[in-house]
Amino acid sequence: MSPIRKFEKPLGMRDTFPKIFEKKEVVRQTGRDFLQMRGFDFIKTPTLEYYDTVGKASAIVESSLFKLVDSQGNTLVLRPDMTTPIARVASSKLLKEKIPLRLAYFANVFRAQETEGGRPAEFEQMGVEIIGDSSVYADAESLLTVIELLKVLEVKQFKITIGNAGILNAILSQNVRTEEQFKELHKLLVEKNIVGFEEAVKLYELPQKNKQTLLTFIEEATDLNHINQIDKYLIEKDDFIYMERLQNILAISEVEKYIYFDFTLASHMNYYTGMLFEVFATGAGFPLGNGGRYDGLLDEFGSQVGAIGFGLRVDQLLEVMPSFQKDQEEVLVLFAQNEFPVAVAKAAALRKEGKRTTLQSIEGLENISVFEQLFSKVVRIGQGGIEHD
Amino acid sequence: MTELTIAMPKGRIFEEAYEMLIQAGFDLPEDVEISRKLMIEIPSEKIRFILAKPMDVPTYVEHGVADIGIAGKDVLLEQGRAVHELLDLKISKCYIASAGLPNTKLNDIAPRIATKYPTVASHYYREKGEQVEIIGLNGSIELAPMIGLADRIVDIVSTGQTLKENGLVEYEHITDVSSRLIANPVSYRMKNERIQNLVKRLKKCVK
Repeated sequence: MSPIRKFEKPLGMRDTFPKIFEKKEVVRQTGRDFLQMRGFDFIKTPTLEYYDTVGKASAIVESSLFKLVDSQGNTLVLRPDMTTPIARVASSKLLKEKIPLRLAYFANVFRAQETEGGRPAEFEQMGVEIIGDSSVYADAESLLTVIELLKVLEVKQFKITIGNAGILNAILSQNVRTEEQFKELHKLLVEKNIVGFEEAVKLYELPQKNKQTLLTFIEEATDLNHINQIDKYLIEKDDFIYMERLQNILAISEVEKYIYFDFTLASHMNYYTGMLFEVFATGAGFPLGNGGRYDGLLDEFGSQVGAIGFGLRVDQLLEVMPSFQKDQEEVLVLFAQNEFPVAVAKAAALRKEGKRTTLQSIEGLENISVFEQLFSKVVRIGQGGIEHD
Repeated sequence: MTELTIAMPKGRIFEEAYEMLIQAGFDLPEDVEISRKLMIEIPSEKIRFILAKPMDVPTYVEHGVADIGIAGKDVLLEQGRAVHELLDLKISKCYIASAGLPNTKLNDIAPRIATKYPTVASHYYREKGEQVEIIGLNGSIELAPMIGLADRIVDIVSTGQTLKENGLVEYEHITDVSSRLIANPVSYRMKNERIQNLVKRLKKCVK
């Protein structure tokens, strides 16, 4: 490896420069105000967690975890997601105080470094978790929250694809013979490898009827007109009735135009048990985020309650948000030697008027005119008193 | 109708795939001069082709600068990029195989495999329960066993002619390869109607 140069930062890490910082701050502030008004409480958890608790329970594969060792020899991880730490806090403490919980977060998470660009190893996520509510209304609330949040953030074109892990698992397992076949087909759907799915089904030794069912299902479900089309693939109808109720609630809420049902939607997040969804927007090459019901995860921490949540990636959000034009006035107060007290008073007065004011001595500048050009207004305080530009 | 950007591999696959699109009823000019071009606009169909090296097509699609693309299964296996694989076009069919000098065995201590497909090769041998050393090459792979760089090569075979001419024999058939229609996950959702329409029309032309 070539020696590290002075300007380099570790692979996958990024600096946040003032412009991006301000834009992120808008996202954070807008998101916070919005979620706060919707009854969500914000929470923060430590950056480091035990590998044995959060690291193992997290759906992020082990090879993607940042690991280190503490002074007692325990393996620690940099938190790979926020859902798992929140499940930990909720089941150990918060759930004893209030059920259901509505929690929100804005935090950075870490994933193993990748050599190619465009995949940061540290990025911010904004999301919510509703814990202790197994009703379909909690599912609806998390979907409506995403939709409203994206509208508040002025994301122009977005779509939410909804699936159901229970329904998909039932259809797959009804039609395959072995656990391996189930796992392989599920994995192919996570990658959305339709070609691979069809090839695999044709290769398996299965009754013709099952093969045909799987092939028709994949064709019909990837181009669905109405969720009723899925009914016939199911023996056990509970999950389907649940999804029908969800669709009804979403129709009443008039958000159908943002919603798209795809029952082949599968996630590598193995803790999703019921409804799950992904969020997409025009302008970002990668999904904005995802969410779903993860009753199984709480079980890992010893709580048998339902939970649902979603997380959005802030870096992808920035790609699809309109750029905010800041028309705030930028004032520069330049002062000469001996005029410091006058300058301080002037700057204080300007700031009180709500103007962003920079105080700078002439002495400290190498090129006055270049520096002045960075401001919309300059006030010079020289020997002759105050001079406005 | 939304604009659709299609990443196409330059060379022989381009012609075959382009021909398929015409068959599928897309209004494209019969003769296109692509020798030096990097982009072709088809305003009547709101389609834009970007012409890339075959190895790079999945990269453009994964990052979303192209909505869909046509890529060989060999490249998809090698790079493992997060793209959706929608349709097997069954064109430019060939396969990946291992080959070497006739009547030779893998070296017991450190078997060496020369290949353009390090991921595919190491995956294949690992699944077989063999630990091998991979040597990455970019072309003329057949040279490696001839001059003693490697025991085996793992490469694309279409007719077997090149192997024969260089005195090599095929040992194992690793996987079949053909061109696939791939899509960016976001485009697949945001431009679903257009992409589904294209898939349906192309599906009818697959032989």
